[in-house]
Amino acid sequence: MSSDILLDDVSVRLGERLALEGVSLRLDQQRIAVIGANGSGKSTFARLLGGLVAAESGTVSVLGLNPARQARELRRRVGFIFSNPDAQIIMPTVAEDVAFSLRGDRLPKAHAAERVSAALEEFGLVELADRAAHDLSGGQKQLLALCGAMIRRPELVIADEPTAYLDARNSRLIAEHLLGEANPHRLVLVTHDLALAARCDVAVLFDDGRLTAAGAPHDVIDRYETSLQC
Amino acid sequence: MLTLYRPGTGWVYRTPAGPKALVLLLVVLVLSLLPSGYAAAIGCGVVVLVGYLVTGLGLRELARQVIAVRWVVVITLGAQLIFLQTEPAVANTSRVLATLLIAALLVLTTRIGDLLDAVERALRPLARLGVDPARVALVLAVAITTVPVLVRLAAGVREAQKVRGAGAGLISFVIPFLVVSLKHADDLGEALTARGVR
Repeated sequence: MSSDILLDDVSVRLGERLALEGVSLRLDQQRIAVIGANGSGKSTFARLLGGLVAAESGTVSVLGLNPARQARELRRRVGFIFSNPDAQIIMPTVAEDVAFSLRGDRLPKAHAAERVSAALEEFGLVELADRAAHDLSGGQKQLLALCGAMIRRPELVIADEPTAYLDARNSRLIAEHLLGEANPHRLVLVTHDLALAARCDVAVLFDDGRLTAAGAPHDVIDRYETSLQC
Repeated sequence: MLTLYRPGTGWVYRTPAGPKALVLLLVVLVLSLLPSGYAAAIGCGVVVLVGYLVTGLGLRELARQVIAVRWVVVITLGAQLIFLQTEPAVANTSRVLATLLIAALLVLTTRIGDLLDAVERALRPLARLGVDPARVALVLAVAITTVPVLVRLAAGVREAQKVRGAGAGLISFVIPFLVVSLKHADDLGEALTARGVR
């Protein structure tokens, strides 16, 4: 059986800078936390898995797919959530933005509407269905972004600091949707919130573009905190 | 201004966006062909009034829309009073106002998604000429959605300038505004890619 995520000696260059350097790892766990300081390569790692940046060298496999060559198939199976919810809203109203995620599937209108209603219900957005998406609060916008990603029932969700702009209550809400025990999807969670990272099955630590640790979340978090004290 | 849609259930709401747009266009066309007299102004008023009552939007919504375009009315009427007599100036301004209010009826009773679907369908014959209707509709949707974001970004730039003691100036505003707008465009492009748009 192919691994969910497999990287072999992968480097990524962004402009003049090597954002990831010689990263090799294999991850089969359901919930993967990615931690590290700002500029350490966490977001580049997430974007690499989502096919949003390409590797300069090495091989990448996500769900058995090459993100650079099989981008279309990857998009069908992977949902991506960014930290800034404003940049994820494509359509003017909440319901339309959720429905936008299904446009490519060419579903019958009634079926698509049913899926949208069910998704809005699941994320507690029914009351806001006809509201202008950009008038929502930060937490509601991030819930909308999550709803837009999850309606496609992705096998893998990549969330890049999804709670970065949120207060404690909304962070908790988003975390429950991502990390709740009932969720069947696999998750790659890039986060500065070490309590969230601790809830994952495995954690990986990046520092200056290099993978410096991978393993049990508490061990990796300890190592990260120790490095912060130096 | 981009949140015009008012949820409702009447037959006007249920009418598909394409035919609804065509009927409203026809109404505007008829109003524009009326002779330039006070009768035309009254006709415009009656049609608009009936439109807002039939859709269930009511007089309050009509008043809100009139207030929203008040400066267009003032400028149109003012400019025409310089060159025309009062009667044709009032009639022409009534026609402009009625056109704006009837156009608003379309977006007040139709979801943007349905309007974009109608645009996409209308542009389908142009596919043979290399036009991608889905892409045109998407560009329109993104443009509509982006306007309030740009307004917020502009406000953010002005606030940042104020707290740092910078005076008001076109260049000192335009350059940072362009930078944050381009950053937003980059982020939006990435989000579109992530959501399966090629």
